[in-house]
Amino acid sequence: MSWNDKASNGAGRGADDESLGREWRIGVDIGGTFTDLVAIAETGALRIAKVPSTPDRPEQAVLDGLDALAAAAGETVAGLLAGCRLFVHGSTVATNTVLEHKGARVGLIATEGFRDSLEIRRGIRPDPWRHREPYPPVLVPRHRRLPVGGRIGASGEELEPLDREALDRQIERLLAEDAEVVAVSLFNSIFADGQERAAAAAVREAGLPVFVSSEIAPVLGEYERTSTVALNAYVGPRTARYVSELSDALAARGLAVPMLLTQNNGGMITPAQVAARPASLLLSGPAAAVGALRHHCDTIGSDNLISMEIGGTSCDVLVMADGEVALTDALDIGGHFLAMPSVDIHTIGAGGGTIARVDAGGMLAVGPEGAGAMPGPAAYGRGGQEATATDAQLVLGRLAPGPYAGGAVSLDADLAEAAIRRCIAEPLGIGVEAAAQGMIRLLEQKLLHALEHLSVEQGHDPRRFTLVAGGGAGALHGAAVARRLGCRRVYVPRLAGAFCAFGMLHSDIRHDTSRVHISPLDSADGAAIASRLAEMRAELAAALAEAGFAEPVWQYGCDLRYQGQQWDVTVPLGASFDLARLREGFEQRHRQLFGHVQPRGTIEITRLRLAGVGPVAGAAPAGPAPAQGDPVARSHRPVWIDAARGRCMAPIYEGADLAPGHAIAGPAIVNEQTTTVLVGAGDRLEVDAHGNYAITLDADAAEDKR
Amino acid sequence: MTDTPAAPALDPVALALLQNRLDHIARHMGWVMTRTARSPIFNQSHDFSCFITDRNGQLLSQADGIPIHTGGGGFSVRALIAAFDGRFRPGDAYLSNDPYVAGGNHLPDWVIARPVFVDGTLVAFACNRAHQSDIGGGAAGTYNPTATEIFHEGIRLPPLRLVEEGVMRDDLWALLMANTRTPQLLDGDLGAMLGSTEIGAQKIAETITGLPRDEATAYLDGMLDYGERRFTEAIAALGDGVFEAEERFDNDCFGPADIRIRVRISLEGGRARVDFTGTSPQIRGFKNSSLANTHSGVYAAFGSFLDADLPRNEGSFRAIEVIAPEGSLLNPRAPAPVTMCTVFPAYEIIHACWWALGQAAPERACAGWGKNSFPNSSGTRDGKTWVMYHWGGLSGGGAVAGRDGFAQIGPLVTLGGLTLPNAEVYEQLYPVRVLRQELVCDGGGAGAFRGGTGVHYECDVLTAAEYSFRAEGTSRPTGLGVEGGSDGARGRVALREGAEGEARPMPDYALSRFGPARLSMTSPGGGGYGDPFDRAPEAVCRDVRDGLVSPAAARAVYGVAVADDGRSHDGAETARLRTSPG
Repeated sequence: MSWNDKASNGAGRGADDESLGREWRIGVDIGGTFTDLVAIAETGALRIAKVPSTPDRPEQAVLDGLDALAAAAGETVAGLLAGCRLFVHGSTVATNTVLEHKGARVGLIATEGFRDSLEIRRGIRPDPWRHREPYPPVLVPRHRRLPVGGRIGASGEELEPLDREALDRQIERLLAEDAEVVAVSLFNSIFADGQERAAAAAVREAGLPVFVSSEIAPVLGEYERTSTVALNAYVGPRTARYVSELSDALAARGLAVPMLLTQNNGGMITPAQVAARPASLLLSGPAAAVGALRHHCDTIGSDNLISMEIGGTSCDVLVMADGEVALTDALDIGGHFLAMPSVDIHTIGAGGGTIARVDAGGMLAVGPEGAGAMPGPAAYGRGGQEATATDAQLVLGRLAPGPYAGGAVSLDADLAEAAIRRCIAEPLGIGVEAAAQGMIRLLEQKLLHALEHLSVEQGHDPRRFTLVAGGGAGALHGAAVARRLGCRRVYVPRLAGAFCAFGMLHSDIRHDTSRVHISPLDSADGAAIASRLAEMRAELAAALAEAGFAEPVWQYGCDLRYQGQQWDVTVPLGASFDLARLREGFEQRHRQLFGHVQPRGTIEITRLRLAGVGPVAGAAPAGPAPAQGDPVARSHRPVWIDAARGRCMAPIYEGADLAPGHAIAGPAIVNEQTTTVLVGAGDRLEVDAHGNYAITLDADAAEDKR
Repeated sequence: MTDTPAAPALDPVALALLQNRLDHIARHMGWVMTRTARSPIFNQSHDFSCFITDRNGQLLSQADGIPIHTGGGGFSVRALIAAFDGRFRPGDAYLSNDPYVAGGNHLPDWVIARPVFVDGTLVAFACNRAHQSDIGGGAAGTYNPTATEIFHEGIRLPPLRLVEEGVMRDDLWALLMANTRTPQLLDGDLGAMLGSTEIGAQKIAETITGLPRDEATAYLDGMLDYGERRFTEAIAALGDGVFEAEERFDNDCFGPADIRIRVRISLEGGRARVDFTGTSPQIRGFKNSSLANTHSGVYAAFGSFLDADLPRNEGSFRAIEVIAPEGSLLNPRAPAPVTMCTVFPAYEIIHACWWALGQAAPERACAGWGKNSFPNSSGTRDGKTWVMYHWGGLSGGGAVAGRDGFAQIGPLVTLGGLTLPNAEVYEQLYPVRVLRQELVCDGGGAGAFRGGTGVHYECDVLTAAEYSFRAEGTSRPTGLGVEGGSDGARGRVALREGAEGEARPMPDYALSRFGPARLSMTSPGGGGYGDPFDRAPEAVCRDVRDGLVSPAAARAVYGVAVADDGRSHDGAETARLRTSPG
């Protein structure tokens, strides 16, 4: 396979009219509204396509998109696929299976006494006050959650052997209940997995596919482990079917390399590996933002980035600090707990389609509900009656009437104004202009609060970060939010509207694993840890070798905490076990996160972690030719800039006219193919060598603390 | 809608921004607290609330916090103002806990309040109320079931100036540390409270500075008026009327006793008068409720009965008048002990209000949540003390129209906000082996919507240990049904010392010591909502198939003729059962 060659780093200056050449990579990201495709050639030439998503048959949008991409490249689909050396896909199939309750009939084999942990869910609900809302239906109903005798103790000792007769009986029952797939989750199995493996073998013998908790999620806690293995089983059959059918369809159309998929940890994974851990795709699309940020560390020249990707319905936020993105083992997917290493990405209900309302007490509120793709904002003219953020942007002159989102829809200013008048301005007794401003200020306040939350949680000072604004709507809010957060710079990739599809082309092959390992740090057994880590390496080596990486990069880590604490701190571990360095690393991170250390506290190890990375060389799109002369605005129009400036006559630039070296003083608007950039008053936008927009914020601008 | 104040002429956008910002700041204080506190009670159980009041101690926002703290903080700040009015200085921070002289709810909940100044003028208070790990008193861990006076419950703190213009009063700090069994925890946790309120105070000052000049007070009042409008409207939607309900205790912590919590709720024009006249006099044991806690219980009951989106600030609470006669269980005279009150009788207050309100709006009626048993085991291992709460035995929740009760859920006073632990994690932390945490067949009260079942919980405590028993719900059902729904099953707490023999029922309240033992609990089930005959036969079949309702109960209680395997029912027979009289 060719993607691990340190080859294709586009040095050439490919302008848009240049052909793709002979070899390229393709990234495909299925979103809620649009499916984005990006092709980057080894020459650095770039093509993008955007087609409507087809939620009922997601593969259709992929194939439609390939037609569009081929047309953009002046190729046949067969030609496009034949020249493709790396095909990466972010799929929503697993996520939609959960959200739409369309998963498999799963059977669960659990230890006697604990079959209900999946249904009790530790009592966790997102908002206690909303007690009238039921939980989403349990993944496995109780009549398919069957207990078997046998018990492992807290140190891995077998207290009671597995009850084989009961096991056989329960498997018979699951067959009678038409279970399609089985999850096995036995108590304390992470300390001794023999009983689980024996149970799994018996299930396999009976002809049912099986997922095993200690393999899928080697974490302490029967609820989290059971929920995770059940989720894998639940999405398994449908996900595997989709991946294999799409692989076949692509191969039939001429794709010569295996399709890869982005997985929860931001790395890439093969179809066979997806079949083994299908829930790896639950964060498939958004996790690709990691690749985009990695690429932009180079173009920006900083490895402290916050990405804020705003689409039609939601905003995904991610922090990269010192070049690393935090992973989490605690993910909520449609109300179900997933304990698999995943990019710590936060999603807020704030996007272009977010609806504003005035409540019964006369208070303006924005979101979290959105108008979706249908009917969408009122301005789309598809029957939407409610006032959305996009309608407000149009009323304020930040968006222009006419074709929008690459021509996918057309914006009607009269419809936008009517909706805001009816839904917001009249109930509040204010003008349409003031109502639209209020909607934008509330939306931006919400974005600000989400970023502040993330910063507190991860212990970062946002002022050290550059905000990367992605998605179709990110660059309209980037400068305003960054200013209030205290950032000095905003960066808008020219491909902001295909942020994740682009990110997929900069992902590594990456696999993560972990083992529970509980021991006081001071008396830790270095040899035992080394042998554990060797065992973990062996586990990952095969998957990495299969992808062409016989000698991957290993990243070791260790979870530590003070005895009695419930939260762990992950600290990098060198290839050898160095107690003093670990303690130092732990105390440094603990102080950063929690503000103190406990000199007399006992530090204990709770978990060993390993990531195996197969580095894939980035594919940088070639920057456009440098600027000749000054940038020329195509037009001017009055645009509402912010609360302090109000409306200003702002120059409107077309992205196609802007080239490296161009600089624009705000206020100004730049129209790009997939996004719109708002440059605030006093801010300065420069086109960098890569053709992207770097905005330096006016440090003296008044901060709106509200 | 009548008698509601007209909205003043404020910029509605500025008001919305202010409301969101103050809510965000309250939450922000909570994140800082969670991240910086030492003890698991904060970073795991979240037994604290961050809140903001105006300069008069009127609660503006409590976006962060547990339901049974709702609105109680205002009492503390108003007591503080009464003690220090005119003497607040920038950089000060104040501490208090006492329910009789400082507006506290119970002694373990300490309140840090920081005055916030803008241009030299007092504008607000940034506050944090948090349950400390140990505050002295007659039992480790703040709960002393043998207390008969507040003096047995720990150190009493009137409003104290803990930090003077930025300088900590070391002598006072040393006094506090001398009055706890866990000074290293208290030191860290008080530090986290001070840190979180300091960040909160700074952000509040910035926010108020950003308001239109000279109108800050009008905007803060505007938030309260908004809360009042929303709450008044929600109460008005219930219609006018007078509704009565009653809850009770069977014991006074020392022996059987008939103790009543009586409420009479009068709704008129969007206002509610909640009158507890007729409630039993204060008792000897520590289940008396301080006045602040009684108010919080009422606010939590209304807040959870009405729409969850309603603001819950002091403006909202203007719509509710609470009458709790002095000397009664719900407004005791000093020195009655009160530490248990944030659970019992908070449960009883919420239940009684729910049942009265349910008569006004049957479609919103809430069945009772099974009351809890809170045994804990403690001992020493390797020279260190361990205390384990048997949360694995928590109860089933009550049903409402549209959903069955939660199978097993955190206490009602947290509205389920307390997260249940994993048994595997507990086995790593304590010398125990958990054997079972399994749903109970026929434990949930029957109804069109069924109550939560509760669980069978079994745990071997492998070493000798002390046991503190605090249980309600063992002598009779406590998750009561509504609108024709049945009551959930009652609970049971039993213990078998050694490896052989029968488990013996344990007293509701006691301190005991046993050798290695097996604790067996059946937690009380939640109540059902609506007539069981109205439950969809398919749902009854599913319950039978799932082993949560027995075929016999399906027939006798739900009137559904379910096949023994629960896969189907006999439609004709079901129709006959459901229409035949009796």
